[in-house]
Amino acid sequence: MKINWFKYAVPMNFYSLSGKMIPLFWILAVIFLIAGFYWGFFKTPNSLNNGMKEYYRIIFVHLGSVWMAMWLYIMMVFWALLGLVFNTRLSYMMASATSITGTFMTVIALISGAVWGKTSWGTWWDWDPKLTTFLILLFIYIGYIALQSAIEDTRRSDKASALLALVGLALVPVIYSAVNCPDPTQCASLHQESSMKNIESNILIGIALTTFGFWMYSFAVIFMRARNIILERERKTSWVSKLKEMNE
Amino acid sequence: MTVLLGSIMGKYAIFILGAMGAALFFMLLEPILLIMKRRSVIQEVRRFKRLEERQRR
Repeated sequence: MKINWFKYAVPMNFYSLSGKMIPLFWILAVIFLIAGFYWGFFKTPNSLNNGMKEYYRIIFVHLGSVWMAMWLYIMMVFWALLGLVFNTRLSYMMASATSITGTFMTVIALISGAVWGKTSWGTWWDWDPKLTTFLILLFIYIGYIALQSAIEDTRRSDKASALLALVGLALVPVIYSAVNCPDPTQCASLHQESSMKNIESNILIGIALTTFGFWMYSFAVIFMRARNIILERERKTSWVSKLKEMNE
Repeated sequence: MTVLLGSIMGKYAIFILGAMGAALFFMLLEPILLIMKRRSVIQEVRRFKRLEERQRR
């Protein structure tokens, strides 16, 4: 079966398609998040081999939100880039819809990380490279949203914010690699290198389930916001005035 | 309930529940705000449509 992707680049077609997909994403998000937290709390040991006690269970919220904050940024840049290259309206709308969910995920990651930091390092905050770069990511997200709402002409604001998003992309690999270097006197960091390969398989199952739940949740809310943006920007078109919800 | 929480969260229950509560708060806040926004956008479009029809007449 051949799918005509360009068909869904038209806001009208995407609006109806996303309306059908949102309930599916919500159902999957609820199932996977409940299953992930159940698994994470009841099927995993109370402490880890490296001495971490029950507080390591914050990982099931923290890791999913950290990954989503970074992936959503990459996704936002992808849409922004598509918009700049092909000048498609829907791409900019998707980039704009992704930015706010990304901001929420970054906030969740910072809060859950602060709580985890308090239990394991004894401090809510430290100017560690990973934390600092993550805070900068939050500022870039906020900057993107602020820039978009500061310029009234949507075409200009879309292009300006797309450029900002593109420049900010350089931060993502920095966040990813901001861990302890071989010589701690040269670059100290509280974050260690990823220990995913040493982690127990049942903890990995919990992480995988919650992360997939976070993905589904993000898709659901991004599509909901994209539909709002489409209605707002296309309100003068005839297809919007013919919609069922406009004639109730 | 306290025994159950104690057995899976130990003395860190307040921290684990705090982190989860914060996540849940933001994850519920976002769709609620979106539903409210959708209602206001639909009202705005309807108002625009009525205005347009009146002008046409």
